[in-house]
Amino acid sequence: MIRALDDACNVEEGCITCGDVALPLAVIAIEEERGLALCEDEQGRRESVETALVLPVVAGDQLLVHAGTAIQHLSRGSEAPRPPAAGAPGREAEEVAR
Amino acid sequence: MRFVDEFRDPGLGRALAGEILSLVEPGREYKLMEVCGGHTHSIYKYGIDDLLPENVELVHGPGCPVCVIPMGRVDDGMAIAENEEVIFTCFGDMMRVPGSEKSFQDAKAGGADIRMVYSPLDALRIAKANPDRVVVFFAIGFETTAPSTALTLKRARAEGIENFLCICNHVTIVPPLRALLESPDMRLDGFIGPGHVSAVVGARPFEFIPADYGRPLVISGFEPLDILQGIRMILAQLAEGRCEVENQYSRVVPYDGNPAALAVMSEVFELRPHFEWRGLGFISQSALRLSDAYADFDAELRYATPGVRVADPKACQCGEVLKGVIKPWECKVFGTACTPEHAIGTCMVSPEGACAAYYNYGRFAREREVV
Repeated sequence: MIRALDDACNVEEGCITCGDVALPLAVIAIEEERGLALCEDEQGRRESVETALVLPVVAGDQLLVHAGTAIQHLSRGSEAPRPPAAGAPGREAEEVAR
Repeated sequence: MRFVDEFRDPGLGRALAGEILSLVEPGREYKLMEVCGGHTHSIYKYGIDDLLPENVELVHGPGCPVCVIPMGRVDDGMAIAENEEVIFTCFGDMMRVPGSEKSFQDAKAGGADIRMVYSPLDALRIAKANPDRVVVFFAIGFETTAPSTALTLKRARAEGIENFLCICNHVTIVPPLRALLESPDMRLDGFIGPGHVSAVVGARPFEFIPADYGRPLVISGFEPLDILQGIRMILAQLAEGRCEVENQYSRVVPYDGNPAALAVMSEVFELRPHFEWRGLGFISQSALRLSDAYADFDAELRYATPGVRVADPKACQCGEVLKGVIKPWECKVFGTACTPEHAIGTCMVSPEGACAAYYNYGRFAREREVV
């Protein structure tokens, strides 16, 4: 069993499980016989994830994972991911940001 | 990383802050509640409240799953955890939540076999590895976490694992929001809706907020630009006289949520008639218990529990903090008797709790700086 994200529970960053926080993880490999997928986070840490709620899943997919379970399939969202559109920052915005 | 880096762009953040400034009317006070504890954590971590105009106030809501667990439920868990045959498992933050006499962490130090797990599946693995013991999982969390517990119980049944039990404390997000909106001491102008709960339940369950209470709600993600854009969308609705549910987090949240997750939840759980929330009291049909079909896995049916309501310590003002009536630093014991290392109240236990988030990221700046 490959376990990772062992620092999920720490005071500064918080317990991602208790906090209803979900993380985007990339699928590395499918473990079909166990109904799991081996996934990796942005730091390269790996864990086995339950995928029953987001099937079908293939290697390379991005999943939103919470408490060891994928709850959404980021690769087929209703809209393409994009940062918010905003106009050019004016002087007021600069002052606020400062 | 994709889906993360592009939502932390400082230039876009400054632009959004400028747009927010242009949308507020001078002299009008805006109170917006972020429902989810994950939002509270991000707001303090990234200093988002410092980017907002003075007359836009963020009120921290009841969406921290650890913070809303009352002491009586910890005592119920403790009664089970201290059975010699039991291996008791729970999430990390839950270990430190005080019961009337002690926390699970204290009980572990006293010899009880209590183990921290990252997921319900971890607890199930412990059960498989210890067939001569009874493994009890103390389940907490909103609709984000409940599907994971439900799938684990289905897996336990499918694999014929009989030494795995669950004490179910899962709660649902809509009833406490309705309770807050009915509360006479609340005056809110809009809501930042919970992103990951909505990934499961969708946007539809929140439609009652604009329809029945005339308040806008924008489901938002957790990166800094997500939250700023969510605030901008609420303020735009208010400026334009609109009032509706909008979805800023559409890259994750489909309007109808995750039907497979909702189906497994309805198979494994049913609504409790009532459940006590810390600071909010008893709220009807606001929590889940195992359905009759899964009663074999219900630890509360196997073991006797006190089932007694325990009043919070007198000094603790978590209730007012959870309702957004007071700010964390206005609590009498904030940062003195109550700190993350020695928490009196649950809001200081979980980093997603408003008190801990404020303590960790902003305790020395209690007075809001003029921007």
